[in-house]
Amino acid sequence: MNTSRRLFLRNGGIALAALGAGAAFDAGLLGRVACAAEAAGGARKKVLICIFQRGAVDGLSMVVPHGDRAYYQHRQEIAIPRPARAAGAEAALDLDGFFGLHPALDAFLPLFKSGQLAAIHACGSPSSSRSHFDMQDFMESGVVDDKHISTGWLNRALAQRQLAKSSPFRAVSMTSIVPRSLQGDADALAIRDLATFGVNASRSAGGANMAAGFEGIYDSAVGDVLRGTSKESFNAIALLKKADPTQYAPAHGAKYPDGAFGHALLQVAQLIKADVGLEVAFVEVDGWDTHVNQGGANGLLAGRLHDFSRAIAALYYDLGDKMSDVLLLTMSEFGRAARQNGNRGTDHGHANAFFALGGAVRGGKVLADWPTLAPERLFEQRDLAVTTDFRDVFAEACVRHLGISAADMPAVLPGHRVEADKFRGFLKR
Amino acid sequence: MKRFILPVSCLLLGLTFAKPAAVWAGAPGTPPALAPLTEQQRIVHVLNRLGFGPRPGDVERVEKMGIDAYILRQLHPESIDDSAAEKAVARLDTLRMSSSHLIDEFNGDIRRFIDQQKMFGNPAEMKMRYGIDIKKSKSPDGQQKPAVPAISELAQRDAIRCVGELQDAKLMRAVLSQRQLSEVLTDFWENHFNIDVRKDTCRALIVADDRDAIRPHVLGKFRELLGASAHSPAMLAYLDNNENSVVRERSAFEKKAIEWYVSAKFGMSAKGMMSAKEGPNENYGREILELHTLGVDGGYTQKDVQEAARCFTGWTFSPFTGTFNFDANRHDNGRKIILGKAIPAGMGEKDGEMLLDILAREPATARFISRKLCQRFVSDSPPDELVARIADVFTQTDGDIRKVVQAIFASPEFFSPAAYRAKIKSPFEYAVSAVRAADGQFTHALLPFMDKVQHVTEGGATIGYGSDQLSKAKRKTLNWHVYDMGEPLFAHGAPSGYSEISSKWVSPGALIDRLNFAVALTQQDVSDVRIAPEDLVKGADADQPGQVFDRLSQSLLHGEISPKTRQVILQNALPKGTQSAAVSVSKLTALILGSPEFQRR
Repeated sequence: MNTSRRLFLRNGGIALAALGAGAAFDAGLLGRVACAAEAAGGARKKVLICIFQRGAVDGLSMVVPHGDRAYYQHRQEIAIPRPARAAGAEAALDLDGFFGLHPALDAFLPLFKSGQLAAIHACGSPSSSRSHFDMQDFMESGVVDDKHISTGWLNRALAQRQLAKSSPFRAVSMTSIVPRSLQGDADALAIRDLATFGVNASRSAGGANMAAGFEGIYDSAVGDVLRGTSKESFNAIALLKKADPTQYAPAHGAKYPDGAFGHALLQVAQLIKADVGLEVAFVEVDGWDTHVNQGGANGLLAGRLHDFSRAIAALYYDLGDKMSDVLLLTMSEFGRAARQNGNRGTDHGHANAFFALGGAVRGGKVLADWPTLAPERLFEQRDLAVTTDFRDVFAEACVRHLGISAADMPAVLPGHRVEADKFRGFLKR
Repeated sequence: MKRFILPVSCLLLGLTFAKPAAVWAGAPGTPPALAPLTEQQRIVHVLNRLGFGPRPGDVERVEKMGIDAYILRQLHPESIDDSAAEKAVARLDTLRMSSSHLIDEFNGDIRRFIDQQKMFGNPAEMKMRYGIDIKKSKSPDGQQKPAVPAISELAQRDAIRCVGELQDAKLMRAVLSQRQLSEVLTDFWENHFNIDVRKDTCRALIVADDRDAIRPHVLGKFRELLGASAHSPAMLAYLDNNENSVVRERSAFEKKAIEWYVSAKFGMSAKGMMSAKEGPNENYGREILELHTLGVDGGYTQKDVQEAARCFTGWTFSPFTGTFNFDANRHDNGRKIILGKAIPAGMGEKDGEMLLDILAREPATARFISRKLCQRFVSDSPPDELVARIADVFTQTDGDIRKVVQAIFASPEFFSPAAYRAKIKSPFEYAVSAVRAADGQFTHALLPFMDKVQHVTEGGATIGYGSDQLSKAKRKTLNWHVYDMGEPLFAHGAPSGYSEISSKWVSPGALIDRLNFAVALTQQDVSDVRIAPEDLVKGADADQPGQVFDRLSQSLLHGEISPKTRQVILQNALPKGTQSAAVSVSKLTALILGSPEFQRR
């Protein structure tokens, strides 16, 4: 372990101690600790939270083009009804007279109205593939139809952001395995649960010794890829041991829904508040591949969206002022076909809708160059066409949020021309 | 930081000895000029690749019979007595249950669930899970509470229990079976033809897929394996082919039949659940091209995907028997052209068979399958020349899997120093190999009833209910450790299955889970496995830590441990200030099983 890392562990430990005490003291203390750490650290710490909706969510149900007549022709049984005048009706929640939110996304409505949430529609990859696994790989690699790039766009973005102090928590994925987005040269950590992350050898007489033994063995495994992996692991364990993450209580009455996704976002909030040097967090949520009985205002998809929006809203309220440095971006490999299929579901399609949430978001808007769902305007006669390249969304997040210079962007998004005039403008300059 | 003071000294020592350690053969990135494998290394390699690593005594046994004879025997598993493994799984009765029983139980589970929901009232859950509305009703005392099934009822849930039992059987067979190559290939093909039990009826039908579609064909002809998978109800359900139909209106009779079925099975109305129209579903048509045969670079088009889907219209299964059924009413009888080859109109069920013939014999299929097999058996990036040679064997033998893997084992690349210990074990391989190396035995609850409850609990957690709770438990089963290490069995969501590129398993979080498994196993904290590491060092002088360690590492790793690792382990096993010189065998075992050397095969 090099000196700077050791030094960091000590400094980071102080903040983590504050995390442990957070339950006993007030949120204000945490805030002050964080501010102090920030002042000491210099630059404001921007955090990017990426949420991958695996399985291709139906963007046409999330952000409903209720002003597009063709939408209702394509989806006679599963369309989300036009916004209702009567309260309590199960219909789209109007955003701007043309688009509306799925009623199960109602937790998003106040965030949208307050200007912190934007939707980017007709967004996706120009690739014509409709394979989940290919398109997830492409999107996470930040490329289109290029299989030779196996590192992730978030990892390459991190590589462009060499901060004075590196943290083992620079990039954290709340998964068992590091996802493609975060694979690459920069350190990335996959943690399923902060509370149990560590070597649990307490039952044996020399529990600590056991952990130390593993650390020593791996450190001596020169030339083995596992050595680097173990270094990251042990650094992170040392940091987390300083705190008791089980004592965490969300602030401002935020209530995360039960389940893996809510728990993952709660832990992201925890890491952000602990100020351990988090720059990028990755969370995934699945169950969107609704080929059969997708439902409309109610049903299978509605249930998923309900939890999805509540978890994200909980994170927003929990983080409070800290949201000013956070950008949360949702994505999914592709959208679903414009027409419903024979099973009241939808097959694999093309363009989709992304959400951007945060203090720096120019929200309250659905950003789209709407191609319309008229049959003659559909991509390959079947899907919503892509008018915003997902790479321009990623690029805007990198440049305007993470502060990566446009000149460095070719390393992050190889083969893509990054120009500010192609940005949708979901972030304030 | 106190706890980490000790390793710093180890670390400094580690740096001093960094150079000799780097010369140690086997670590990746070592220079190509490596010595050929010794006889013992070749034996260990075969046991690690054709199987899940050696049990005590295996190396000596192979040495005695000869490597070639061992490989030949493994290629003909029917000649190997496997009564011990079969006896171990015999108590898992869902493995023998018919599809009709299991699918009936699956429906029964839903019916019981609906009954509970009706009793306690949770329409939101019903809507979310099944997209159906039920009349809100209150429990007798007017309270609304979540429905929690009684424990006695839990044990009867065969369709959920079969998931836990199948996972357990996979582990037990991998640990105990003498037919090691069969078990490795079963793992390979089940991953290739991935099915996720989290998808509704798959959880009940997966038993038949494992038993009837995959296992009989793991060393057979690829065309037969592909055909068995294409007819497997679990696959038809997983990739929605049971929903794949020509565009049509349901007849009045059909609607009546469905309504009767739903009402009889679930006691509710099917109104609003079925659409009058049916149409094509491309999911299976796409994945069979992309993932099962040609590979994503196999040169097919979106049009080919649509044509493949048309060929398979009407391939479905009966909701009563859970067995394959061709529904001619739903079949698209028109002419199809796929990969430039015509399938004439009016062939009915034969369309699919002809398509399978075409796909099994495409050169792209030979290349794709051969590459994946080479990745499993040789290295993450096998040489192109090897893949081309193996693909030729595939083509010449009409996809005879036995001949194909035999050619891989006979290749110089297989026994090359570059391939030796080049693969990182998957969590499944890691767990199984550790239990085998430590001569582990499975244990069961005293009451068979409790085993059933455990299998229902784990089956339920795998399909999405309660995995957090199981992962938090102090003592976990072998199955749940594998889950936590990142490889839930029979539950990979994407149809691609887990990657054959083993370096993808390397991640900090997953590594910690592996270390925790090593610790739990040696502290007898894996709840259904007992190991006896003391037996491995019988006769060694307990006051001579070096001797104990050498015996142990010889037994567990067959000499493949670096001097550096040895030194660090010995230092940690004997902390300063201890009066006794005696080492803890279980602690030494944990450190060896958790070492980087043991993560490789």
